Amino acid sequence: MRIETLLFKEVVILPELFLGISLIYLVLHCTFLAIRKNYPLIQNSVLYLGVLVLSLSCFLVLNDGLDVLELSVLNDTIVNDYIGFSSKLIIGSLSLFCLLMMQPYLISQKINQFEYILLILFAVLGLFLLCSSNDLLTAYLAIELQSLAFYVLASFKKNSTYSVDAGIKYFILGAFSSSLFLFGASLIYGVTGTINFEEFRDLFSNSFPIILDQTSFFDGSLVQFGLVLILIALLFKLAVAPFHTWAPDVYEGSPSSSTFFFAVVPKLAIFVLLLRIFYYSFFGFFESWRYFLVVTVVLSIIVGSFGGLEQRKLKSLLVYSSISHMGYALIAFSAGTFESIQMLFGYLVVYSFSGLCVWSIFTITRLRNNHLQKQNKDLTDLVSLNKSNYMLAIFFTTVLFSVAGFPPMIGFLVKISVFLTAIESSMFFVALISILCSVVGTFYYIRLIKILYFEKVLVGMLYYPIKAQSSLLISMLFFLLLFLFLNPTLLYLFSYKISLLISTAV
Amino acid sequence: MLYTKNILSCILLLPLIGAFVLAFIPSSNKSLLRSVALNCSCLTFVLSLLLWVFFNKSIGTFQFVEKFFWIPILNFNFSIGVDGISLFFILLTTLLIPTCLLASWDTIRFDLKKYLISFLVMEFFLIGVFCVLDLLLFYIFFESVLIPMFLIIGIWGSRERKIRAAYFFFLYTLLGSVLMLLSILYIYAQVGTTDYEVLLTFSFSPLEQKIMWFAFFASFATKVPMVPVHLWLPEAHVEAPTAGSVILAGVLLKLGTYGFIRFSFPLFPEACFYFAPFVYAMSVVGIVYASFTAIRQSDFKRIIAYTSVAHMNLVMVGLFSFNIIGLEGAILQSLSHGFVASALFLIIGVVYDRHHTRMVKYYGGLVHTMPIYVLIFLFFTMANIGLPGTGSFVGEFLILTGSFKANTTVTFLSATGMIIGGCYALWLFNRIAYGNLKTQYFKNYLDINEREFLIFFPLLLGTLVMGIYPNIFLDSIHFSVNMLVELMYF
Repeated sequence: MRIETLLFKEVVILPELFLGISLIYLVLHCTFLAIRKNYPLIQNSVLYLGVLVLSLSCFLVLNDGLDVLELSVLNDTIVNDYIGFSSKLIIGSLSLFCLLMMQPYLISQKINQFEYILLILFAVLGLFLLCSSNDLLTAYLAIELQSLAFYVLASFKKNSTYSVDAGIKYFILGAFSSSLFLFGASLIYGVTGTINFEEFRDLFSNSFPIILDQTSFFDGSLVQFGLVLILIALLFKLAVAPFHTWAPDVYEGSPSSSTFFFAVVPKLAIFVLLLRIFYYSFFGFFESWRYFLVVTVVLSIIVGSFGGLEQRKLKSLLVYSSISHMGYALIAFSAGTFESIQMLFGYLVVYSFSGLCVWSIFTITRLRNNHLQKQNKDLTDLVSLNKSNYMLAIFFTTVLFSVAGFPPMIGFLVKISVFLTAIESSMFFVALISILCSVVGTFYYIRLIKILYFEKVLVGMLYYPIKAQSSLLISMLFFLLLFLFLNPTLLYLFSYKISLLISTAV
Repeated sequence: MLYTKNILSCILLLPLIGAFVLAFIPSSNKSLLRSVALNCSCLTFVLSLLLWVFFNKSIGTFQFVEKFFWIPILNFNFSIGVDGISLFFILLTTLLIPTCLLASWDTIRFDLKKYLISFLVMEFFLIGVFCVLDLLLFYIFFESVLIPMFLIIGIWGSRERKIRAAYFFFLYTLLGSVLMLLSILYIYAQVGTTDYEVLLTFSFSPLEQKIMWFAFFASFATKVPMVPVHLWLPEAHVEAPTAGSVILAGVLLKLGTYGFIRFSFPLFPEACFYFAPFVYAMSVVGIVYASFTAIRQSDFKRIIAYTSVAHMNLVMVGLFSFNIIGLEGAILQSLSHGFVASALFLIIGVVYDRHHTRMVKYYGGLVHTMPIYVLIFLFFTMANIGLPGTGSFVGEFLILTGSFKANTTVTFLSATGMIIGGCYALWLFNRIAYGNLKTQYFKNYLDINEREFLIFFPLLLGTLVMGIYPNIFLDSIHFSVNMLVELMYF
């Protein structure tokens, strides 16, 4: 399939087109079904329709990727390349897992509206577009699409004050960060007159800072200012340290299934955008934003490690864990070498899959004392997990050790590869601080393990048995993580190809 | 002629296979679980004896070397092999694991399956530590040992302080070893590989050596343990079940000394010489302080734990004398300590199973009811002091001879440790074995049974052989140590 032979070039965005059109159809379909007189519960059927649509669009993505060529369509606003292909594939499979895993939770919490599933699909559409956006405006629109879906998802439990509170906090801070993004983009547009990543790349090639000194053709400092604003906006979305304050409240308040979704899935897409902007287009400004980023990294690792120590609720703990993990990922991002992109992708993939594992174990286990609508919120609720389902407890322990970055797990390998990039680019101090903080961080994971195993349980069997479907998915994930440790070559080869593409500028 | 090419990987994988098999046996079938685990570990021991038989004593390089690709992109490969230094540590591990399984034959009341699986998995990790020839993989195995040990202390530990003890154990060791991880990554960034035999040919600048030596030291000194970071050891020993203490004293402490011999010495020789006075000072403080502390303990296990600290610090003195006699003595003393300290913990386990207390004041006059037990106890007490004819004597003698060449004052000061050692060991033995039988506390007067005797017998035999004819051990160690010393000086 060569470019010249294509009659209809827009075929490369077929997955997004398919997803969008089927979403519109699903909205109509569900509305007509739901307005019947007896208000039938169509939540399950919508879920399976959503899974079908999502898996079909994943299949389309895969089909695209069979012959990945860099091809931009719709007036160069959307590009299809290997990084977009692979990240879309990962995001698609992550959200498939999410949808299937959150089903028991949705049923038990009586989230019966069909909109819930559709909003998740809308968010996935936004993430897909984000992965393949090729200019600042498309990126902004994609971010807005996914964020708006997330705001609604966060406040979906209408009769819970916490949930509404979470939604509003998320909305205000999200809107604020989006406006920062727009401001930065407009500054850059004002200076350069373009918003396209390709053209940025042509303008600001590696030798740009030298040109900056000699001529006054561009106001470089304004571009830098715009870049920092964009960086701040994206760091807001990633919830790293100075910009993390919204995260604990939002994650704690919103329904667990929503938290599950926006804790696991969108990080990869945001990182793709970060890579496209800061590596692909503006690598000439590397030195100017690097030190800013290093401070953020150190701060977020410290906050993530020490903040998690005093948490008594599982979701808050996972928030702080994700803050420190984003810090580790940003170490690789701020190293600025060819290997660092490779390690960054390896880290993100493993982080997403192990996060998926932790969160799905958290959502599918349901306590038997349901009279308070109380799901396992506190850490101490896990105390009976070992008694009631010891296989799940073993899986949970293994995955926790992996997330903590403890040796015979894949989490360790990707973590040391991140530290390796830090050392190779002579960031010894950052490496030292973050590795010491990782010991502190390990403490709260092993506290979870202590709760699972070491405490005496007086009453047993407090959990409902989990469904066969969920247990199959969990064990698939678990064996994926084990396999990746035994044969990590797969991971590194895949991320090698991504870094080849991005680092043509480096 | 047996096919010996893959014997090392067989030894390495056999416990893991055993753990895998155990996972599929229903946990209600306890006798089958026990027998599978015991047979698997005994088979591993027999295979490792074969390793010793086929070991070529006249070369000092690595034997039974096998290489597998792991991450070819990053140049991390899985290579294993043994030389004279690591051979006996592997033997010690494979001997102690079946001993541990026998010792906890019917004292584990719940979760027997997980207990056995964690022991076999730990055996896999420990053998891995001693035979792996790659720095990163060494780190991976070195750290992985923490997980099963953490679970063993935490789940099957004895009192409510066990959680604190498990945390102490985990976090102290982890904090030390992350610094080592950083310097391993630095080495990788500099050299481009972590293969041990390649690293031997590379020399770092003095400043790099000093910094990295210190990072390695932070990790290994926590394991040995040297004095300011020894705090985890009494806690962990006291709270762990008997078998856990045995492994902890018998093998885990040796990871520290093994790490020094294997990595710190050949990779950073200049830094070793530079920091030797520092290590001497720390070790001497460790010996004297730990011996005095042992005298005033009231807990049976704590006394033996502090004894371990003192003896391991003596091993450190031997290591940092940097001559063949001292190094061989240190290795031999590590081995003999592995026998003696684990036997002493097993001795505690025997009376703990009968009376469920470890306080010395409740015991007395055991010689009246348990003569065989007291005989074994006497033997190991004497071995602990370093009586001629036991392995400890040979080890301590060689260590002191070696360090006499390097630093006479240190030799003198560490020899005082042996005298204080006589105090606490004899005092303890006297309180437990002699005096009036405290019938008001005792309900159970059984002497040791056949199973318990079988546990002690190999350890007893090993200690005696090591004391009477140590050459069968030293022969195999000699050439490897010789090569190591040559590497350091040239």
